[in-house]
Amino acid sequence: MNKATDLWNRYGLQGAILLLLLGIFTMIAPGFVGENALFAVLERLVPLGIITAGLAATMIVGELDLSIASMAAVAGAGVIVLGNTGLGLVPLIVLASVGGAVIGVIQGWSIARFGISSLVLTVATLILLRGVASLITEGVPVSLENYLLTDPLLGRSWVFSPLSVTALLILLLLGAYLSRTRPGRAMYAIGGGRQEAVAAGVPLTRTLVTAFAISGACGALAGAMSSLRSGSATPDGFGTMLLLGVAAALVGGIGLSGGRGDMVNVLLGVVIASTLAAGLSTMGVKSYVSELFTGVLLLAVIALEAGVSQVARRRNLARERRLSLDAAGTARALTTEPLASA
Amino acid sequence: MTDIDAAAARWTSVGRRTSIGRLVARYALPLMIISVVLVAALTTPGFAESTNFRAILINTAITGIAAVGMTAVTLSGNFFSLGVGATVVMAGITFLATADRTGSAALAIVITISVVVLLGGAQALIVAAGLNPVITTLAFGTIIYGAIAVWTGGEVVTAGATQVTGLATADLVGLPMPVVAFLVLTAVATVLTERTVMGRQLRLVGQNRETGRTTGISVLATTIVAFTSLSIGAALAGIFSAAQLRQMQANDLPNLTMDIIAAVLVGGAAVGGGDASPARSALGALLLVTLGNVMLLHGLAPGVRVFGVGVITVVLVVTLHLIRKADAR
Repeated sequence: MNKATDLWNRYGLQGAILLLLLGIFTMIAPGFVGENALFAVLERLVPLGIITAGLAATMIVGELDLSIASMAAVAGAGVIVLGNTGLGLVPLIVLASVGGAVIGVIQGWSIARFGISSLVLTVATLILLRGVASLITEGVPVSLENYLLTDPLLGRSWVFSPLSVTALLILLLLGAYLSRTRPGRAMYAIGGGRQEAVAAGVPLTRTLVTAFAISGACGALAGAMSSLRSGSATPDGFGTMLLLGVAAALVGGIGLSGGRGDMVNVLLGVVIASTLAAGLSTMGVKSYVSELFTGVLLLAVIALEAGVSQVARRRNLARERRLSLDAAGTARALTTEPLASA
Repeated sequence: MTDIDAAAARWTSVGRRTSIGRLVARYALPLMIISVVLVAALTTPGFAESTNFRAILINTAITGIAAVGMTAVTLSGNFFSLGVGATVVMAGITFLATADRTGSAALAIVITISVVVLLGGAQALIVAAGLNPVITTLAFGTIIYGAIAVWTGGEVVTAGATQVTGLATADLVGLPMPVVAFLVLTAVATVLTERTVMGRQLRLVGQNRETGRTTGISVLATTIVAFTSLSIGAALAGIFSAAQLRQMQANDLPNLTMDIIAAVLVGGAAVGGGDASPARSALGALLLVTLGNVMLLHGLAPGVRVFGVGVITVVLVVTLHLIRKADAR
């Protein structure tokens, strides 16, 4: 397989969808093109892009972290409350990410050690973390008293802001980690064929812990930066982020069954989802309508994925049958020939 | 001691350990509820009063009905529905709107249940085709939420001149209607799950999908049954909730999905499938509401209540999983 076909197989569909969307919006929403639109799409990398990257890490190992949006809510509430005690911007963000990673480590360790399904454990921690967020905020929205604290985050240079640049850096780092390091490659091995990978000596517990540490840190970082940007947090914030993150990851081409997709897929998925949302909002469409569209898109994509895997399975079966028929035919020819010649 | 004796001793001891595990899994929940009630009755003023017990039951009914309905989905190995909250709200709004248009609450109930069951059937077809149930229900929940928000324009829907509150307040044998419906539904669902061929087929498909398929059970049929159960529970929960509130809008009941899932998890359902009981889900809902009630009477903030629910859910999920794993050994 040459490089072009490889690229086409990995990102072709997503690239086509993105071009189609851009084409449609430039036609029906003339206000959409230009620097401001690009800025709007990039700003949506926080929190969506980072959350999607975290989800993708767990999806690549064949699991799913349903608690990631609650993690964002906890971190968001935490940085606002701690920010009011006088902590600086950088310590807040670092503290949130480290805290998220620690919770992620505990989750990943429990999943690997106890053999619990990640869907079950993370839906339980989703409920727990939601409780923690409500505990921190005492059940009411909280806001930053010193709103000068977040000024460094709000700058803009051309289409970039400190937040979107941070998000892009995170994607770049994670991409390099996944494709260039041994633990990163181990994540693909565990996701692609768990039993084979374990049999070949890939460490299961360490790899799952890494994946959930990444998703915990990403969830917390996304929540912290997003809440600092707005200067406020609510106990039930980021409620739609799970849907949007899962949708963006799947639309971008991260496989739900594990082992497939990389950070370019994440970026494509997030840009597609953000373009859809930003485009619809320039047309004055209400946010629940764009959520409706996201739901339909998500359903279409998983249907497509299921369809493709069915076709692939059938094709494999047919090939195996043909091969075994061929083998049987050869065997018969070999056994009958001597008889015929005798 | 001969080898046979040793083997027999080992066999019986394994048997005993297994039964202890089963006993814990089966009776932990009722025991927890009883101890919570006893401790609360002794330490909490205002808890052990009939009006308070009545309030607890009324509060349990809505979540409980939906949790009992969802148990079949969990039992059949389809995890849980992340769209159940949106479905309940949609059922409530459909009920109020059709009651307003047709002027008959009975007709509105029939129409609402039919619509919700049809939507559940559509999800069942997709899930049975091999799509991930969690993602499918997440997508459906969003589509349902978006569709009702568009349909109502985000406005509050009421039943107009049609009388619907009777549904929520009328007394049957001394208990309000939703509570009676909750108890009857739990009993019916338990009998259907434990005592019918269909119930056992759901359990087998949940325990081992391949074995189920090989023995000739239709995964499509069991999935449709499971989602029909979920839909009936969600529809009734929506109808009663709408009758209680007398009005509804798309944004209502934001925490319902997680409360319902928490009830099923606390009820000790094996979310991987094959082990779940409607009665235990009902008890799970009752335990969570009772604890919330006690915390409320002690004047604790709502944040503490949500946190308490979370802690109990995580602890029970992990403990029950470990007990089950030790059992299977």
